[in-house]
Amino acid sequence: MMRHELIRIWAFALRNLLMASRNVFFVFELTFWPTVGVLSIGLMTRFLRLSPADTSFVLIGTVALSTVQVCQLDVAYAVLYDVWSKSMKHQFLAPIAVRHLTLGSWLVGIGRGLVVFALLAGLAWWAFDFNPLRIGGGALGVFLLGCFLTAWIVGVLVCALVMLFGTRAEASAWATVNLVLVLSGIYYPVSLLPGPVAAVASAIPLTYFLDAFRSHFGFASEFASPLARGFGLSAAYILAAHWGLRAALDRTRRSGLLLKMSE
Amino acid sequence: MLAIDAHDLAKTFRSGWPRRRETHALRGVSLTVQRGAIVGVLGPNGAGKTTLLSILTTLLVPDRGRATILGHDLAREPGAIRRRLNMASGNASFLWSLRVEEIIAFYGRLYGLGGRALAARVEELLGFAELGPHRRVPYNELSTGLKQRLALAKSLVNQPELLFLDEPTLGLDPDVAIRLRAQIAALRRQRGTTIVLTTHYMREAEELCDEIAFVKNGRLLARGSSEELKRAIKLGDVIALRVDAGGAAALAGLPGILRTTAEDGRVELTVDSAQKRLGEVLQRLHESGAVVRDLEVREPQLEDVFIELAK
Ligand SMILES: Nc1ncnc2c1ncn2[C@@H]1O[C@H](COP(=O)(O)OP(=O)(O)OP(=O)(O)O)[C@@H](O)[C@H]1O
Ligand SMILES: [Mg+2]
Repeated sequence: MMRHELIRIWAFALRNLLMASRNVFFVFELTFWPTVGVLSIGLMTRFLRLSPADTSFVLIGTVALSTVQVCQLDVAYAVLYDVWSKSMKHQFLAPIAVRHLTLGSWLVGIGRGLVVFALLAGLAWWAFDFNPLRIGGGALGVFLLGCFLTAWIVGVLVCALVMLFGTRAEASAWATVNLVLVLSGIYYPVSLLPGPVAAVASAIPLTYFLDAFRSHFGFASEFASPLARGFGLSAAYILAAHWGLRAALDRTRRSGLLLKMSE
Repeated sequence: MLAIDAHDLAKTFRSGWPRRRETHALRGVSLTVQRGAIVGVLGPNGAGKTTLLSILTTLLVPDRGRATILGHDLAREPGAIRRRLNMASGNASFLWSLRVEEIIAFYGRLYGLGGRALAARVEELLGFAELGPHRRVPYNELSTGLKQRLALAKSLVNQPELLFLDEPTLGLDPDVAIRLRAQIAALRRQRGTTIVLTTHYMREAEELCDEIAFVKNGRLLARGSSEELKRAIKLGDVIALRVDAGGAAALAGLPGILRTTAEDGRVELTVDSAQKRLGEVLQRLHESGAVVRDLEVREPQLEDVFIELAK
């Protein structure tokens, strides 16, 4: 039984890997845009003559943004590929659950996210003298896990939106993550946000992961036990997002959209 | 033993916003299918055939009605049902840059197949569907015929006991279609697979199906073997003659003649039974001195049944 479970997850992981390896534009996703992001933000810090500390604060945000985005896209692709190729019904004809789809694609997203993170960390070190790796493996691992969990949540939500609204919701794959990232204080401390928005920010796990990560670079933590909150919220959202995706799938089975997306 | 036992299935699609449009795709269809049978679902475009198949394959939840598939309740045990059935449709589509063998393997994994068992199954299906030489071709470079064969191969990846085929030979040239039909027939012969298929090709239905269910406007209008349907619809046989002018007049008033058309010495008589009436017709013509130059007796085709029912 466990073996069947793993095979199904692997099926989706392998599919994303194969698709990614055959699309040249994915190279852009992986290298070009993230590099452009770090370079433009990094150069801006030079222009504004930010202190090394402030520069690292901003660059951490940019690197996190790209890492989350790339990982999240892989999860969204798990459903988007089927929408684009109109093959949705075949996989839901098989005895699978949504967790197989989201876990398999998430694993590939983690792999691609790590590549992007390594690339950008190297770039930030080489070009702007900021080395995010210097805090050591443990803290770094926790931060990356936080990024990937956030990406998973957003990716699953995008999948649910696409299930509910079809290709009309496609843009959410690229837009939603930006919303989350603005709210969780990529380029500024969340304490800067006006009251109600700050409340929203405090409901986003990435806020806490960024906070904890930055504390290793000498920035005072804005929250008590940020990691516990981050992981706690993540767990709750992951369950909720999967429940949402499952509900969206059930709805497509009732409305006939599952068939519409396959013809 | 029944593979499918469905009662009163109904489905209305609601679409459009803000003004909702309603399409009553199925209006209460009951259907039973014996294990090991091949049943054809026929009917005009938009009759509800695909909707019916989608409900039976758990892809669509009906508004009303219930069904037992391979002994499992459709509403309560969809997982158990999905393990044991599969479907291929004529307009199937898969991920564009995956290769033939990768597509079969992907779906194989979704049914829990892995390792050597998966490799062996993929080989077997590539052989069965004659896709071996194309195994490394990406999906978007396949011809229609190859795509259809891939869809059939994919639908066999879990060795289904119950197989649904929605217009499996759509858009195929006659040669490829004949081969595909032979493969479908072989499935039942070799593995006892129960098959439910839809088609717009009457020859296909006659050749493959033990029974035909005729659906129109979301309702089941008739069901039976092709022969039974022809008899039930009472279309009558056609006696087509070429006779010298004036011959048709001699036939007026003969019993059993349902319809007569005469034109340039060609006479077509639709009679209740050619076997019963042919002798009398020829005798009449002979007595009147008409010379019969050509004679043909036609039984009604399934196509005629279709046209009659679809009216
Ligand atoms: N997913 C859907 N959403 C909305 N309406 C649908 C959907 N699927 C089918 N319909 C409508 O339901 C009716 C029955 O369609 P269905 O596809 O079952 O017909 P069919 O018998 O398979 O026709 P064809 O021979 O053309 O394949 C049609 O009017 C169709 O437009
Ligand atoms: Mg159809």
